[in-house]
Amino acid sequence: MLFMHETHKVIGRQAAAFEAIYRSEWMESLAKGEDARLVWYLNHAMGSGPAYQVVTITAFSDAAAWETLAQRMLHGDLSELHSRLDASRYEVVGKLLTPVYWSALQELDLGAIPTDGREHDLSVFMQDTGWPDAPLDEYIELWDHDYWHFMRQIPPERMLLDIQACFQVSHGSGIRPEAILMQKIVNFSTLGNLLTSVEVHDPTTWPGSYMAKGLELRDQWESKLLRTSSWSPLW
Amino acid sequence: MLFVHEVHKVVGKAAAQFEDAYRNRWMPTLAEGSDARLVWYFDLAHGSGLAYRAVTVTAVRDAAAWYRLAERVKSGDLQAWGRDLDGLQHDAVGRIMTPLEWSPTLGSFDDIPTDPAEHEPTMYMEDTMWPFPGKVREYIEAAGNVYQKSLGAEGSQMQMHIELALQTMPGAGRYPEVTLMQKLSSLAPLIRLLTQDIPSEVLEPGSWMHEALELRDQWRSKLLRTAVWSPFQ
Repeated sequence: MLFMHETHKVIGRQAAAFEAIYRSEWMESLAKGEDARLVWYLNHAMGSGPAYQVVTITAFSDAAAWETLAQRMLHGDLSELHSRLDASRYEVVGKLLTPVYWSALQELDLGAIPTDGREHDLSVFMQDTGWPDAPLDEYIELWDHDYWHFMRQIPPERMLLDIQACFQVSHGSGIRPEAILMQKIVNFSTLGNLLTSVEVHDPTTWPGSYMAKGLELRDQWESKLLRTSSWSPLW
Repeated sequence: MLFVHEVHKVVGKAAAQFEDAYRNRWMPTLAEGSDARLVWYFDLAHGSGLAYRAVTVTAVRDAAAWYRLAERVKSGDLQAWGRDLDGLQHDAVGRIMTPLEWSPTLGSFDDIPTDPAEHEPTMYMEDTMWPFPGKVREYIEAAGNVYQKSLGAEGSQMQMHIELALQTMPGAGRYPEVTLMQKLSSLAPLIRLLTQDIPSEVLEPGSWMHEALELRDQWRSKLLRTAVWSPFQ
């Protein structure tokens, strides 16, 4: 299974039209086949980063399904629709992802993903993208042993994040080394504490902690707060 | 055929080892199978941009072949190679590209050389353009009808020709984005371009430089020199 992750820099005046095309036409077009589905439609929460940025994640049964769709967008029956999407954004940056070995999400039943635009509550994800200065495999293993395992042991009342998926960029389709965590925020008051905390995780005073250990492999990552649309197939 | 285009930010002290990893490991390993071939290994010419940048272009038969290759790098027989490369480059930025309708062809996939025979290095001007929103198709058409033909015309400002014209596939890089791999056949026009003002007639209404501004005004040129062993020169 392959996941297409796209960050769209949308033209602000056309933001509603862009979302409408995704909801009413794009998702429906994919639903006519069996090998591709829009999975998440996420707005970068205003106040936490760039304005008018949208992240979409599309799942494919395999790479051939991605190539077929991409060629339909460039030259086939989806080219007109693709042109209209293209005209309502400045650019889009995509990458092809596969789940890391320990990711909770490995395979999706594409047939079970909603395609009818049904509405639901909103949820917010913290998408963390890390760029290690050590071998990528070591970083992914660190996330497994020192982050994923630790986070699962936190009692529900103190839990901030539910790590739903972890991906790495497939060779040649983006940046290497890079890995991505899709983490659903399950407690907004805990998020508030995180954002307003002045606690400094000094590696000299937190020996053995994930924050200290992580610095041995990377010191650059980016968190994005992404809010699902009310109709995003998964949320 | 698809092309995996990568720009590598190489660790300066490890530049020779980095090149060796492509010449003596990546290229021959790919040659053992039928999914992928290294096509070009370039160095960004010192003095023309960022230091210690290498550009590689790898051909894959199709997306299924690319995926098999990617899985080998992720967890198969090329995982150790990828891990070693992590220590030889700060990062690499890749994209998967497909030829434009009017692009010249490199020939058959099976005819791509796989032996490290040495040649004289060749200079390329790699141009990457980002058309305005909704203008990529018009740009591609105009680039084929007007720009490409102008390169071959008598009195052309540049003595170069397009070896391969590509666009980034949706979902595997930035879109819209077009890249032209242009082989220089003479350096003198390049030196003129770099050291003299562009002639006014080249900028007048009706010229490519003028009219194409309706379709894009941002592009980036890279001066790339092939390694002596690069399969394609």
